[in-house]
Amino acid sequence: MSEKEKLKRRTDASIEAFKSFRLRWVTGRSKVKMEIDEQKYQKILDSIMKDEIERHMITGALKEKGPMTVGELAQLTDLQPNLLVQHLMALRRNGAITEVGEKNRQYLYKLA
Amino acid sequence: MVKDTFKEEKAQNEFEPVIVAYCCNWCSYAGADLAGTSRFEYPTNVRIVRVMCTGRIDPIFVLEALRDGADGVIVAGCHPGDCHYQKGNFMMEKRFAHIKKAVETIGIEPERVKLEWISASEGGKFAALIRETTEQIRQLGPNPFRSIQEPK
Repeated sequence: MSEKEKLKRRTDASIEAFKSFRLRWVTGRSKVKMEIDEQKYQKILDSIMKDEIERHMITGALKEKGPMTVGELAQLTDLQPNLLVQHLMALRRNGAITEVGEKNRQYLYKLA
Repeated sequence: MVKDTFKEEKAQNEFEPVIVAYCCNWCSYAGADLAGTSRFEYPTNVRIVRVMCTGRIDPIFVLEALRDGADGVIVAGCHPGDCHYQKGNFMMEKRFAHIKKAVETIGIEPERVKLEWISASEGGKFAALIRETTEQIRQLGPNPFRSIQEPK
């Protein structure tokens, strides 16, 4: 996958992330209302933004190419497989993706 | 429409930055207007988009401009406390930190996005900002979307 394509995937994912309810909720709240200090707020915001962009990269890839295994997703999204599995578990818990059979002894995931 | 503008730029060999400036209707757009009527000279690299308030600018606007090939994005609004809608610019100031963070996360230089306060009487400041930003972007080089060559 070319550098340009990787960059486009990341940008598209971040645009989708900013459309998502989770990120909009966090960025739309003032830290005063959340009753936490600046440092903690920034830390939470950083991790949510990173997670949301990466999760939208995964859902974007599944939307584009159909059901895929962890290995195929790791190749396409340029994410570490262990991190990818964490995101997949979170997405499955939220009902965003489901498992559909197996391929080369790996689970195939698709959008729910 | 914005994409068509970039296509024209691509035809030229020499790098000329394309800057998208989102200006609020009440202060910065009037400032840009004043820069024109006062005959202040500034580069023609800027494409001004008028919005009613900087509070209207979604992070998506900035990210999409960069994705579509803009080399820099300027967000210009009223000075803090002068917003026509009371707190639109404060909302933007807060949101801008998130925009910078997102741009950095993607892998684009955060210096490509800028937030400035320009009042309706600051035509000179607007012209200076465009001159300065154009020079900065020229140093940075083209947007990675334009500079990365596709393998043949």
